[in-house]
Amino acid sequence: MAVAACAAAILSVSSEIALAQIKGRAMPEEVRKHETEMQALGESFDTAWDLYQHFKKEAKGGTIAPEYSKLPDWSGLWERRDGPFFLDPEQTDFNAMPPVELTPEYKKELEERLKRYAAGDDYDPISVCGVPAGYPRFMVEPFMREFVPTPKQTWLINEAGNEVRRVYTDGRGHIPPEAAYPLYEGDSIGFWDGQKLVVHTSQIKGTVLQRIQPRDSDKAETVEIWEKLDDNTIKVDLWIYDSEAFVEPWFSQQYYRKIPNEDGLLRIHFWACAENQNNVITKTDEGGSTFTDFTFTHKDDKTPKAEQKGQDSQSMPWNEDNK
Amino acid sequence: MMKFPIITITAGALFAIGFAAGSTAASAHHSVQMYDMQKEVTVSGTVKEFQYTNPHSWLLVDVKNDDGTSTVWGFEAEGPGILMRAGIMRNSLPAGTKVTVTGHPMKDGRPAATWVKLEMEDGTEMVPRAQR
Repeated sequence: MAVAACAAAILSVSSEIALAQIKGRAMPEEVRKHETEMQALGESFDTAWDLYQHFKKEAKGGTIAPEYSKLPDWSGLWERRDGPFFLDPEQTDFNAMPPVELTPEYKKELEERLKRYAAGDDYDPISVCGVPAGYPRFMVEPFMREFVPTPKQTWLINEAGNEVRRVYTDGRGHIPPEAAYPLYEGDSIGFWDGQKLVVHTSQIKGTVLQRIQPRDSDKAETVEIWEKLDDNTIKVDLWIYDSEAFVEPWFSQQYYRKIPNEDGLLRIHFWACAENQNNVITKTDEGGSTFTDFTFTHKDDKTPKAEQKGQDSQSMPWNEDNK
Repeated sequence: MMKFPIITITAGALFAIGFAAGSTAASAHHSVQMYDMQKEVTVSGTVKEFQYTNPHSWLLVDVKNDDGTSTVWGFEAEGPGILMRAGIMRNSLPAGTKVTVTGHPMKDGRPAATWVKLEMEDGTEMVPRAQR
């Protein structure tokens, strides 16, 4: 289904952007029901902090710094179950608006970005090595992950960009306002409710949630509930509150599946993003993306036959359309 | 020896991108707009170098032209973390290995493409986005 969705998206690149709400894809009834209920629950609170306090009250204060033996086993390597292009797994249309009502400014920004995408001018801020996806985009990125609960901290790790989120569960509060500033991964605190990890994150540095997803702002705050459903599945209920970008909180369900690794071959290594000149991307004047100088050919190799040494790529069939 | 790479435009090419969940790394770090995803290029040659790097790996293939000159083609794939899951290791493609590689070519005509599949002389196929 994801492949078909992609093909459809590619075929529609030149078509008009369908600025409509998504219709959604088949979703198990109980999952859809949960989504509806949790969206409503989110809307019943003004802020992420209020929702977090609601869950804390329900958990009778929750557990702070539990013993190791009380923590769930989240060992192994994990990856996002759904594709990396949409925060909400239900969205499948590359040209559609997401299932959240955006404020006029953020709606306009996304509409313009989708138009550029449809026109073939697409640029991702993380193309520049050293700029991470950041949270909440962290939740949708592909690649391998590790989730490591310890009594006082839980580390949520993504192979890509060496991103690590630290969730403090030792009872500390957030960084006080006078010391706070926007952070790519935000500042996360939490508590345990049985085997569930409940997290509140603030100090988020606003950026795109994906190339074809809305931006969030520095005002974004979130609540997450992490839970292992079975040996191969971890689910996260995620609420994003952002009074600057979203008219209402945005609830979504994030699923991570375990990567088979019986032989232990797969491991997360340091991700040296800038190690290969051939991966250097620049932003074009039109706002799109292209490679700069490859190590194996010069950027002007497409033009003179002599420089290309025997191959005049201007006459290549795929360039006929561009003449 | 080849005058030009073999170019095909097929509906299948659209599906060859491999956008199934978890197999989208080629587009997760940067846009793929520099490639013509509706076209495919296939070249045969010998491996010059396999740059097994993050966020993307590059397979450089020396392709002989009819006039005796050669062109180095670059094929972009995922980084080691995903290639290993497809069974493609650092030493899978040593310099000198004869290969036929298919990819979606650059729009601007540079001899580079996103690597869709590779076939070795013995028929072994390597698809970067194949998964465990």
